[in-house]
Amino acid sequence: MMECRYILGVVAAMGVVTFGLRALPFVAGRWLAKHPLVHKLGAFLPLTIMTLLLLNTVVGAATEHSGGPWMEISAVAVVAVLQWFIRNALLSILLGTCLYAVLRNVMV
Amino acid sequence: MTDANHTTPSPTQPPISALALTAPVAMGYIPLGTVFGFLFVQAGGAWWLAVAASVVVFAGAAQYMMIPMIAAGLSTGTIALATLIVNLRHVFYGLSLLNKLPHRPLLRWYLIFGLTDETYSVLTTLPEGTRASKMVLIAALNQGWWVLGTLLGAVIGAQAKVTLVGLDFALASLFCVLTVEQWRARTSALPLWTALLTYAVAYPLSPAHAMVTAIALSVATAIVVHRMKEGEKS
Repeated sequence: MMECRYILGVVAAMGVVTFGLRALPFVAGRWLAKHPLVHKLGAFLPLTIMTLLLLNTVVGAATEHSGGPWMEISAVAVVAVLQWFIRNALLSILLGTCLYAVLRNVMV
Repeated sequence: MTDANHTTPSPTQPPISALALTAPVAMGYIPLGTVFGFLFVQAGGAWWLAVAASVVVFAGAAQYMMIPMIAAGLSTGTIALATLIVNLRHVFYGLSLLNKLPHRPLLRWYLIFGLTDETYSVLTTLPEGTRASKMVLIAALNQGWWVLGTLLGAVIGAQAKVTLVGLDFALASLFCVLTVEQWRARTSALPLWTALLTYAVAYPLSPAHAMVTAIALSVATAIVVHRMKEGEKS
């Protein structure tokens, strides 16, 4: 069983960080909006960070077992294709995750 | 995560009720909240802590990410930094809603607190002059669906002790969905290539710090690209 006080501390810290990020434009919006660099970063960083998060998670999963990264690559490809064409996040996530769980439990 | 975009009301139609506006979000939030609650309890957390996370944090990707991190006992500071990275995109959401949110402090701050990807996309489709109470109701309903799903998943997870490897891939799938949606909204392919290249540079240096290093390199790249374009103009 994980320690309760530790998790409560983590939850509180995550809550503060998330709220701070969501509140920042409303507190410093006029200042932020004045700077062209902020707009540039706003157009640039979300796609970069999301791609990095995806890469990092997939690489992390692939290094957990010795079977090579083909299971991760197939599952991500399925999610990406479903999301691009059908655009139903729930369907993409559930099918991709189920495919991966089946591959991991059957193949390794 | 984007189903809400399809409910754009046209000005000639009567206003759509808050409940109807959040229905597409509910169809995503209840099952995804269930998966979160389930994985959280399966990892060894108490059911009420899963619910507390959905009430206090209310950020899907960050909550999925926290499960392996707390299971590994990482420091609070490390998890806070990871949350900062995962949720950084929210800074840029608010900029487009500055003049749209209500001015009464309590309503305003709750809406800001509840500004998830989905609530943001519903709010941006509302016509001008929508009442503050309706906007708050939409945000509260969305959080209600998320908390309800979490509770369901936590209860199911506490009963069933299946140890199925690979269910935590839900996080990778969620990041993949969000990447596809960011790609759809892109103005150039450069941010994607920057991510791939900086990660390829950062990973061999230190696999454990690849994420933070790659983000630092990406921010530097974005600034250099910005300066170069400024230079071309002048």
